[in-house]
Amino acid sequence: MSHGGALFEVAGFGVTSAMTTSLAISLIIGGVVIAGSRNLTEGKPGKMQNAIEMVFGSLRDFYASILGKERANAFAPILGTLFLYIIVSNYSGLLPFAGTAPGFQPPTGMLGVTIGLALVTFFTTQIGGFKYNGLHYLGHFVKPVAPLLPLLLLEEIIHPLSLSLRLYGNIYGEETVLHQVSGLIPLGAPIIIMGLSLLFGFIQALVFTMLSAIYIEAATGSGH
Amino acid sequence: MVNGVIACAAAFAIAASTVFPALSQGKVGAAAMESIARQPEAAGKIQTAMILAMALLEALTIYGLLIAFMIIGKF
Repeated sequence: MSHGGALFEVAGFGVTSAMTTSLAISLIIGGVVIAGSRNLTEGKPGKMQNAIEMVFGSLRDFYASILGKERANAFAPILGTLFLYIIVSNYSGLLPFAGTAPGFQPPTGMLGVTIGLALVTFFTTQIGGFKYNGLHYLGHFVKPVAPLLPLLLLEEIIHPLSLSLRLYGNIYGEETVLHQVSGLIPLGAPIIIMGLSLLFGFIQALVFTMLSAIYIEAATGSGH
Repeated sequence: MVNGVIACAAAFAIAASTVFPALSQGKVGAAAMESIARQPEAAGKIQTAMILAMALLEALTIYGLLIAFMIIGKF
Protein backbone atom coordinates (compact mmCIF):
# COMPACT_ATOMS: atom_id res chain seq x y z
CA MET A 1 0.00 0.00 0.00
CA SER A 2 1.23 3.45 -0.82
CA HIS A 3 0.16 5.55 2.12
CA GLY A 4 1.32 9.11 1.89
CA GLY A 5 3.98 9.84 -0.67
CA ALA A 6 3.32 12.50 -3.28
CA LEU A 7 2.71 11.50 -6.90
CA PHE A 8 3.64 14.85 -8.39
CA GLU A 9 3.74 18.46 -7.31
CA VAL A 10 1.48 21.33 -8.20
CA ALA A 11 2.81 24.76 -7.19
CA GLY A 12 4.84 23.27 -4.33
CA PHE A 13 2.02 21.10 -2.95
CA GLY A 14 2.46 17.35 -3.17
CA VAL A 15 -0.52 15.60 -4.78
CA THR A 16 -1.15 12.18 -3.23
CA SER A 17 -3.04 9.17 -4.58
CA ALA A 18 -5.90 9.82 -2.17
CA MET A 19 -6.31 13.35 -3.57
CA THR A 20 -6.57 12.19 -7.18
CA THR A 21 -9.05 9.45 -6.22
CA SER A 22 -11.03 11.94 -4.16
CA LEU A 23 -11.22 14.30 -7.13
CA ALA A 24 -12.32 11.45 -9.41
CA ILE A 25 -15.05 10.43 -6.94
CA SER A 26 -16.31 14.00 -6.67
CA LEU A 27 -16.42 14.28 -10.47
CA ILE A 28 -18.22 10.94 -10.82
CA ILE A 29 -20.88 11.78 -8.20
CA GLY A 30 -21.30 15.29 -9.57
CA GLY A 31 -21.49 14.05 -13.15
CA VAL A 32 -24.07 11.36 -12.39
CA VAL A 33 -26.25 13.71 -10.36
CA ILE A 34 -26.07 16.54 -12.88
CA ALA A 35 -26.75 14.17 -15.78
CA GLY A 36 -29.66 12.68 -13.87
CA SER A 37 -31.24 15.99 -12.99
CA ARG A 38 -31.37 17.16 -16.61
CA ASN A 39 -34.76 17.14 -18.32
CA LEU A 40 -36.76 16.53 -15.14
CA THR A 41 -40.35 15.60 -15.90
CA GLU A 42 -43.31 15.30 -13.60
CA GLY A 43 -45.57 12.83 -15.27
CA LYS A 44 -43.48 9.87 -16.33
CA PRO A 45 -39.89 10.10 -15.08
CA GLY A 46 -37.14 8.23 -16.89
CA LYS A 47 -34.99 5.49 -15.36
CA MET A 48 -32.23 7.86 -14.29
CA GLN A 49 -34.61 10.33 -12.66
CA ASN A 50 -36.40 7.50 -10.88
CA ALA A 51 -33.17 6.09 -9.47
CA ILE A 52 -31.92 9.46 -8.27
CA GLU A 53 -35.28 10.38 -6.77
CA MET A 54 -35.32 7.08 -4.90
CA VAL A 55 -31.85 7.65 -3.42
CA PHE A 56 -32.59 11.24 -2.44
CA GLY A 57 -36.04 10.44 -1.12
CA SER A 58 -34.84 7.62 1.10
CA LEU A 59 -31.90 9.68 2.40
CA ARG A 60 -34.18 12.63 3.23
CA ASP A 61 -36.70 10.37 4.95
CA PHE A 62 -33.91 8.79 6.97
CA TYR A 63 -32.60 12.13 8.21
CA ALA A 64 -36.15 13.35 8.76
CA SER A 65 -36.60 10.49 11.22
CA ILE A 66 -33.83 12.04 13.33
CA LEU A 67 -34.08 15.78 12.61
CA GLY A 68 -37.79 16.15 11.97
CA LYS A 69 -39.22 17.14 8.63
CA GLU A 70 -38.51 20.87 8.72
CA ARG A 71 -34.83 20.69 9.69
CA ALA A 72 -34.29 17.68 7.42
CA ASN A 73 -35.07 19.94 4.46
CA ALA A 74 -32.29 22.27 5.60
CA PHE A 75 -29.66 19.69 6.52
CA ALA A 76 -30.42 16.65 4.35
CA PRO A 77 -28.49 18.05 1.33
CA ILE A 78 -25.19 18.34 3.20
CA LEU A 79 -25.66 15.06 5.09
CA GLY A 80 -26.71 13.25 1.92
CA THR A 81 -23.68 14.58 0.07
CA LEU A 82 -21.41 13.38 2.87
CA PHE A 83 -23.14 9.99 2.73
CA LEU A 84 -22.71 9.62 -1.03
CA TYR A 85 -19.07 10.72 -0.94
CA ILE A 86 -18.20 8.39 1.94
CA ILE A 87 -19.98 5.34 0.52
CA VAL A 88 -18.48 5.72 -2.97
CA SER A 89 -15.07 6.29 -1.43
CA ASN A 90 -15.42 3.22 0.82
CA TYR A 91 -16.48 1.05 -2.09
CA SER A 92 -13.65 2.35 -4.28
CA GLY A 93 -11.32 0.36 -2.00
CA LEU A 94 -12.91 -2.86 -3.30
CA LEU A 95 -11.99 -2.25 -6.93
CA PRO A 96 -8.96 -4.09 -8.31
CA PHE A 97 -5.58 -2.39 -7.78
CA ALA A 98 -6.97 -0.02 -5.15
CA GLY A 99 -4.10 1.01 -2.92
CA THR A 100 -1.44 -0.53 -5.15
CA ALA A 101 -1.81 1.35 -8.45
CA PRO A 102 -0.38 4.88 -8.34
CA GLY A 103 -3.07 7.54 -8.15
CA PHE A 104 -5.76 5.19 -6.88
CA GLN A 105 -6.40 4.83 -3.16
CA PRO A 106 -9.65 5.09 -1.18
CA PRO A 107 -9.62 8.61 0.32
CA THR A 108 -11.51 7.63 3.49
CA GLY A 109 -8.55 5.40 4.39
CA MET A 110 -6.52 8.58 5.01
CA LEU A 111 -6.80 10.38 8.35
CA GLY A 112 -6.56 13.80 6.72
CA VAL A 113 -9.63 13.22 4.56
CA THR A 114 -11.79 11.93 7.41
CA ILE A 115 -10.75 14.83 9.65
CA GLY A 116 -11.82 17.17 6.85
CA LEU A 117 -15.20 15.44 6.60
CA ALA A 118 -15.64 15.61 10.38
CA LEU A 119 -14.78 19.33 10.33
CA VAL A 120 -17.65 19.86 7.87
CA THR A 121 -19.95 18.27 10.44
CA PHE A 122 -18.39 20.32 13.25
CA PHE A 123 -18.95 23.67 11.52
CA THR A 124 -22.42 22.69 10.32
CA THR A 125 -23.33 21.83 13.90
CA GLN A 126 -21.99 25.05 15.43
CA ILE A 127 -23.30 27.39 12.73
CA GLY A 128 -26.65 25.57 12.73
CA GLY A 129 -26.84 25.97 16.49
CA PHE A 130 -26.31 29.74 16.28
CA LYS A 131 -28.68 30.06 13.34
CA TYR A 132 -31.57 28.22 14.97
CA ASN A 133 -31.15 29.29 18.61
CA GLY A 134 -29.24 32.57 18.32
CA LEU A 135 -27.18 33.41 21.37
CA HIS A 136 -29.30 31.01 23.44
CA TYR A 137 -27.16 28.33 21.82
CA LEU A 138 -24.32 29.35 24.15
CA GLY A 139 -26.64 28.54 27.05
CA HIS A 140 -26.48 24.86 26.33
CA PHE A 141 -22.79 24.86 27.29
CA VAL A 142 -23.70 25.70 30.90
CA LYS A 143 -26.64 23.36 31.27
CA PRO A 144 -27.55 21.72 33.59
CA VAL A 145 -24.90 23.41 35.79
CA ALA A 146 -22.17 25.94 34.98
CA PRO A 147 -19.16 23.90 36.27
CA LEU A 148 -19.74 21.43 33.41
CA LEU A 149 -18.57 24.08 30.90
CA PRO A 150 -15.07 22.64 30.25
CA LEU A 151 -16.43 19.13 29.85
CA LEU A 152 -19.16 20.25 27.44
CA LEU A 153 -16.66 22.28 25.41
CA LEU A 154 -14.37 19.24 25.31
CA GLU A 155 -17.29 17.13 24.12
CA GLU A 156 -17.77 19.38 21.09
CA ILE A 157 -14.15 18.76 20.08
CA ILE A 158 -14.25 15.02 20.82
CA HIS A 159 -17.32 14.51 18.60
CA PRO A 160 -15.55 15.26 15.28
CA LEU A 161 -12.38 13.54 16.51
CA SER A 162 -14.20 10.28 17.21
CA LEU A 163 -16.15 10.60 13.94
CA SER A 164 -12.96 10.90 11.91
CA LEU A 165 -11.06 8.21 13.82
CA ARG A 166 -13.93 5.73 13.50
CA LEU A 167 -14.19 6.14 9.74
CA TYR A 168 -10.43 6.20 9.17
CA GLY A 169 -9.78 3.23 11.44
CA ASN A 170 -12.47 1.12 9.84
CA ILE A 171 -11.44 1.74 6.25
CA TYR A 172 -7.71 1.65 6.91
CA GLY A 173 -8.07 -1.51 8.99
CA GLU A 174 -10.21 -3.12 6.32
CA GLU A 175 -7.69 -2.20 3.64
CA THR A 176 -4.84 -3.67 5.70
CA VAL A 177 -6.74 -6.89 6.44
CA LEU A 178 -7.66 -7.28 2.78
CA HIS A 179 -4.04 -6.72 1.79
CA GLN A 180 -2.74 -9.25 4.32
CA VAL A 181 -5.34 -11.90 3.46
CA SER A 182 -4.77 -11.63 -0.28
CA GLY A 183 -1.05 -11.97 0.39
CA LEU A 184 -1.68 -15.08 2.51
CA ILE A 185 -4.36 -16.89 0.46
CA PRO A 186 -4.73 -15.14 -2.91
CA LEU A 187 -7.60 -17.35 -4.17
CA GLY A 188 -11.08 -17.25 -2.68
CA ALA A 189 -10.38 -15.90 0.80
CA PRO A 190 -10.36 -12.17 -0.11
CA ILE A 191 -13.93 -12.53 -1.39
CA ILE A 192 -15.18 -13.15 2.16
CA ILE A 193 -13.43 -10.03 3.41
CA MET A 194 -14.79 -8.06 0.44
CA GLY A 195 -18.32 -9.23 1.24
CA LEU A 196 -17.90 -7.96 4.78
CA SER A 197 -16.41 -4.74 3.42
CA LEU A 198 -19.55 -4.15 1.34
CA LEU A 199 -21.60 -4.29 4.53
CA PHE A 200 -19.20 -2.25 6.66
CA GLY A 201 -18.68 0.41 3.99
CA PHE A 202 -22.40 1.07 3.96
CA ILE A 203 -22.76 0.96 7.76
CA GLN A 204 -19.83 3.35 8.27
CA ALA A 205 -21.28 5.86 5.81
CA LEU A 206 -24.66 5.51 7.53
CA VAL A 207 -23.20 5.84 11.03
CA PHE A 208 -21.08 8.87 10.13
CA THR A 209 -24.06 10.81 8.81
CA MET A 210 -26.43 9.46 11.46
CA LEU A 211 -24.16 10.69 14.25
CA SER A 212 -23.74 14.00 12.42
CA ALA A 213 -27.52 14.31 12.23
CA ILE A 214 -27.82 13.56 15.95
CA TYR A 215 -25.21 16.22 16.83
CA ILE A 216 -26.99 18.73 14.59
CA GLU A 217 -30.32 17.79 16.15
CA ALA A 218 -28.90 18.38 19.64
CA ALA A 219 -27.47 21.78 18.63
CA THR A 220 -30.44 23.13 16.67
CA GLY A 221 -33.22 21.74 18.84
CA SER A 222 -34.86 24.09 21.32
CA GLY A 223 -35.70 21.43 23.88
CA HIS A 224 -32.64 21.77 26.12
CA MET B 1 13.94 -9.43 22.46
CA VAL B 2 12.58 -5.90 22.29
CA ASN B 3 10.84 -6.71 19.01
CA GLY B 4 9.09 -9.64 20.69
CA VAL B 5 7.85 -7.40 23.49
CA ILE B 6 6.57 -4.87 20.94
CA ALA B 7 4.73 -7.60 19.05
CA CYS B 8 3.14 -8.88 22.26
CA ALA B 9 2.10 -5.34 23.21
CA ALA B 10 0.38 -4.84 19.83
CA ALA B 11 -1.35 -8.22 20.11
CA PHE B 12 -2.52 -7.45 23.64
CA ALA B 13 -3.81 -4.01 22.63
CA ILE B 14 -6.03 -5.36 19.87
CA ALA B 15 -7.05 -8.46 21.86
CA ALA B 16 -8.18 -6.52 24.91
CA SER B 17 -9.95 -3.88 22.85
CA THR B 18 -11.78 -6.59 20.87
CA VAL B 19 -12.95 -8.83 23.71
CA PHE B 20 -14.84 -6.31 25.80
CA PRO B 21 -16.63 -4.36 23.06
CA ALA B 22 -17.52 -7.75 21.54
CA LEU B 23 -19.20 -8.81 24.79
CA SER B 24 -21.06 -5.50 24.92
CA GLN B 25 -22.11 -5.78 21.28
CA GLY B 26 -23.49 -9.21 22.07
CA LYS B 27 -25.56 -7.69 24.84
CA VAL B 28 -26.81 -4.92 22.55
CA GLY B 29 -27.74 -7.43 19.85
CA ALA B 30 -29.50 -9.72 22.32
CA ALA B 31 -31.50 -6.86 23.79
CA ALA B 32 -32.47 -5.62 20.32
CA MET B 33 -33.61 -9.12 19.28
CA GLU B 34 -35.69 -9.39 22.43
CA SER B 35 -37.32 -6.02 21.83
CA ILE B 36 -38.07 -6.84 18.21
CA ALA B 37 -39.60 -10.18 19.23
CA ARG B 38 -41.74 -8.42 21.79
CA GLN B 39 -42.74 -5.55 19.51
CA PRO B 40 -42.18 -6.45 15.85
CA GLU B 41 -43.86 -3.28 14.57
CA ALA B 42 -41.05 -1.15 16.10
CA ALA B 43 -38.32 -3.16 14.33
CA GLY B 44 -37.14 -0.23 12.18
CA LYS B 45 -36.62 2.16 15.09
CA ILE B 46 -34.95 -0.51 17.22
CA GLN B 47 -32.62 -1.40 14.36
CA THR B 48 -31.50 2.22 13.97
CA ALA B 49 -30.79 2.53 17.68
CA MET B 50 -28.99 -0.81 17.68
CA ILE B 51 -26.71 0.16 14.78
CA LEU B 52 -25.91 3.42 16.55
CA ALA B 53 -25.00 1.66 19.81
CA MET B 54 -22.94 -0.91 17.94
CA ALA B 55 -21.07 1.81 16.06
CA LEU B 56 -20.19 3.59 19.28
CA LEU B 57 -18.89 0.32 20.73
CA GLU B 58 -17.02 -0.51 17.56
CA ALA B 59 -15.20 2.79 17.80
CA LEU B 60 -13.46 1.45 20.93
CA THR B 61 -12.15 -1.54 18.99
CA ILE B 62 -10.99 0.75 16.22
CA TYR B 63 -9.04 2.86 18.72
CA GLY B 64 -7.34 -0.33 19.89
CA LEU B 65 -6.60 -1.30 16.29
CA LEU B 66 -5.03 2.11 15.61
CA ILE B 67 -2.90 1.81 18.75
CA ALA B 68 -1.81 -1.67 17.62
CA PHE B 69 -0.82 -0.31 14.20
CA MET B 70 1.07 2.51 15.88
CA ILE B 71 2.93 0.06 18.13
CA ILE B 72 3.78 -2.14 15.12
CA GLY B 73 5.09 0.99 13.42
CA LYS B 74 7.75 1.17 16.16
CA PHE B 75 9.55 -1.83 14.68
